Amino acid sequence: MLKNVRIWFTKEFECKYISHLDLNRCMLRAVRRAELPIWYTEGFNPHPFVTFPLPISLGISAKRECMDIRIVDDDFEISQIPELMNPLLPRGIQVFDATTPKTDAKFITFAEYEATISVDGMTATELRESVSALCELECVTIKKKSKKGMKDVDVLPYIKAMDFDKSDSENCRLSVILPAGNTKNVALPLVFKAIENHINKEINYDIVKLNMYTEGMEEFE
Amino acid sequence: MIFLYSKEVEKILLKVQKPGRYTGGEINSVIKDKDKVDLRFAFCFPDTYEIGMSHLGMKILYSQFNSYEHIWCERVFAPWTDMEELMRERNIPLYALESGDPLTEFDFIGFTLQYELSYTNVLNMLSLAGIPLLSKDRTELKNIVVAGGTCVSNPEPLADFIDIFFIGEGEEVDIEVMELYRKCRDKGCTKKEFLRLAAQIKGVYVPALYDVEYNEDGTICRFQPTEGAPARVEKRLIMDMDNVYYPDSFVVPLVEIVHDRAIEEIFRGCIRGCRFCQAGFLNRPVREKSKETILSQCKTLCENTGYDEISLSSLSSSDYSDIVGLLTCLSEWSDDEGVSLSLPSLRVDGFTDDIMSRIKTVRKSGLTFAPEAGTQRLRDAINKNVREDELLKTCHVAFSGGWTNVKLYFMIGLPTETYEDVEGIAKLGQAVVNEFYRCENRAKGRGVNVTVSASSFVPKPHTPFQWEAQNSIETIEKKQKHLKESITTKKITFNYHAAYTSFLEGVFARGDRKLCKVLSKAIERGFHFDGWNDCFDFEAWMDVFKECGIDPKFYASRKREFDEILPWDFLDYGVSKDFLKKECEKAYNSETTPNCREKCSGCGAACYKGGVCVEKR
Repeated sequence: MLKNVRIWFTKEFECKYISHLDLNRCMLRAVRRAELPIWYTEGFNPHPFVTFPLPISLGISAKRECMDIRIVDDDFEISQIPELMNPLLPRGIQVFDATTPKTDAKFITFAEYEATISVDGMTATELRESVSALCELECVTIKKKSKKGMKDVDVLPYIKAMDFDKSDSENCRLSVILPAGNTKNVALPLVFKAIENHINKEINYDIVKLNMYTEGMEEFE
Repeated sequence: MIFLYSKEVEKILLKVQKPGRYTGGEINSVIKDKDKVDLRFAFCFPDTYEIGMSHLGMKILYSQFNSYEHIWCERVFAPWTDMEELMRERNIPLYALESGDPLTEFDFIGFTLQYELSYTNVLNMLSLAGIPLLSKDRTELKNIVVAGGTCVSNPEPLADFIDIFFIGEGEEVDIEVMELYRKCRDKGCTKKEFLRLAAQIKGVYVPALYDVEYNEDGTICRFQPTEGAPARVEKRLIMDMDNVYYPDSFVVPLVEIVHDRAIEEIFRGCIRGCRFCQAGFLNRPVREKSKETILSQCKTLCENTGYDEISLSSLSSSDYSDIVGLLTCLSEWSDDEGVSLSLPSLRVDGFTDDIMSRIKTVRKSGLTFAPEAGTQRLRDAINKNVREDELLKTCHVAFSGGWTNVKLYFMIGLPTETYEDVEGIAKLGQAVVNEFYRCENRAKGRGVNVTVSASSFVPKPHTPFQWEAQNSIETIEKKQKHLKESITTKKITFNYHAAYTSFLEGVFARGDRKLCKVLSKAIERGFHFDGWNDCFDFEAWMDVFKECGIDPKFYASRKREFDEILPWDFLDYGVSKDFLKKECEKAYNSETTPNCREKCSGCGAACYKGGVCVEKR
């Protein structure tokens, strides 16, 4: 019997700078070295079957990422996966759980982020105020490349959704939930880019993706 | 968890391409406590991360240096132009990947010189680190700039910048020099005293201790050691390949690099003596590792890195004395483990059914052979010793085995070459295409693709062609055009290199100390990555030469007399100048020389009393 397994991991520190493709290779190498009884595709060029429900962009840290594999051995205890894989992974990518998937990847609708932003020469309070000021506008658009060429996206609703409660006078911290997944996906860096265009300043940001949710805001498991 | 790169670096990482090249943090990278080590070595590769991380020499020395508890060796690569621009704009000094510390904090800054066109990167990296370029401007006993690798076989164009060159293989001499440094530092010696003592170690060349005088025509009239430095600097080499240090793990990159696999070195040197090939003369004699050592090192490497591909490295893998035995024992292990073996550097006459069946597990990407020249006469002149019928037979074997892609490497501009030889390249390509259609077991329903690549020949020091004039840019371009027109089939894809880059490579390959000022000026102009077409500006280079009053043709296009003092004559790689002269004369008569296993030709390398020189023939 093939058994689906969802492997949960973090992607932090220097590892936030590796691309999805590089992450994929890194994971495959670890899976192979850990000798997990993984299912191989049966095509012309068999390779371990691995999918990522919601691939993460380069430059964003993640606290709860996942990838799906299939296990061919019924007696294999999936709870040992973290201890088998972690010594084989870089310090920035660590597996913390392996579970049987409860939700299909296609039901991912939202992702929750936390970010610290700063602008050289501006205090945290000033930055927060200038972002809040944008909420008075009718729209904040930015050009985005899509399959059908460039199109304008209005990111104002997402700026309005930003919660600055965790900010203080030193750090401008925000949390926000954005559409994510197959049907609609909004990248937080794109929202920051739009803000940059309006305030004419370059924003330094550090984004952490915290979690993923379904349409009914249930945690993706 | 500590962030090893600085906050300033963090701010620019998202603004550059492939930031994963600048962060470190890979599996198996070595992190030490800097308060507990007493010698820090920055191993610098003067090209991008992807290229440097593929280099075996760096992997060997990185692991070996770090195997000493008191030494911490870290890696440094040349940042790509987008990163460099931001670093300069924000005054971020070049840093090492492990600690994130700037190069100024290191005792040694070591470069590996693999390619003449990376010289500007060497100097640019020093400049990015804020380290004075000229050796004489670095007066303290710290930041000692050292260099090793193939190109130190003519170190003179970099003589003003580098404190110490390591001649030959580095495993022993590098450590000896580091030990001397520790002693000198403890005693409070000056840098000058340290260099004077270092020059006494075999395999060490300290350019500052030699004076050069020139004749009016620009050639060298005297090359004079001072302060007790040796008149001849002998290369260092490892004779016992089974007991020399070899890494049990490699740093496994987080981002994709050029050769992303394990590499096992199977021997050093080459028995062949192709007259154009510098590596073949610098690395004599051939010294092999035993099968047992190779197998156990392969196993350890794959275990510790997780790689499922291992490449057997040498100058000519099929010349391993028991290649079939080796592949048999390796494939027993690799089949079990699902590891694929790859065997680069195969000779045309070395690709047998036996070998083919062993490497068949590898995905069939394509086979590459290097006949180097188009006609038998020219192949004899360069001592390539490969016959056309052997090549066709080999291709037949490959086509029968299902291969449909063959790459053939050639050189244009070899000494004694005529237009007939150039046409011969096209004819040989056509013969391979014909062989495919003659082959009854060929892959059905698929065409054949023969790629013919022609690079331009650059005469190199310590080879029988070191006295030759390099073909001018115009001649090379005429020959390239002629070859292109001689190819009439669409089954052949023709690639060639820009003649301009080869010309500059030729200038620095056989240059002397007068070129130091050209390099200084090039750095002032911001030259870097000259080996990359997107950065190389030939016109700008010619302007620099003009301003310095130096004619680059003096180095590239001039035929030297046998009795001229060559800038690299003082380096002893174990091969006598007399032997090189004889080989050069034989080339003019298209006479071949047997390989080292057939017969000893008395090159001089027998002085090392080992390797192939003492094998039973």
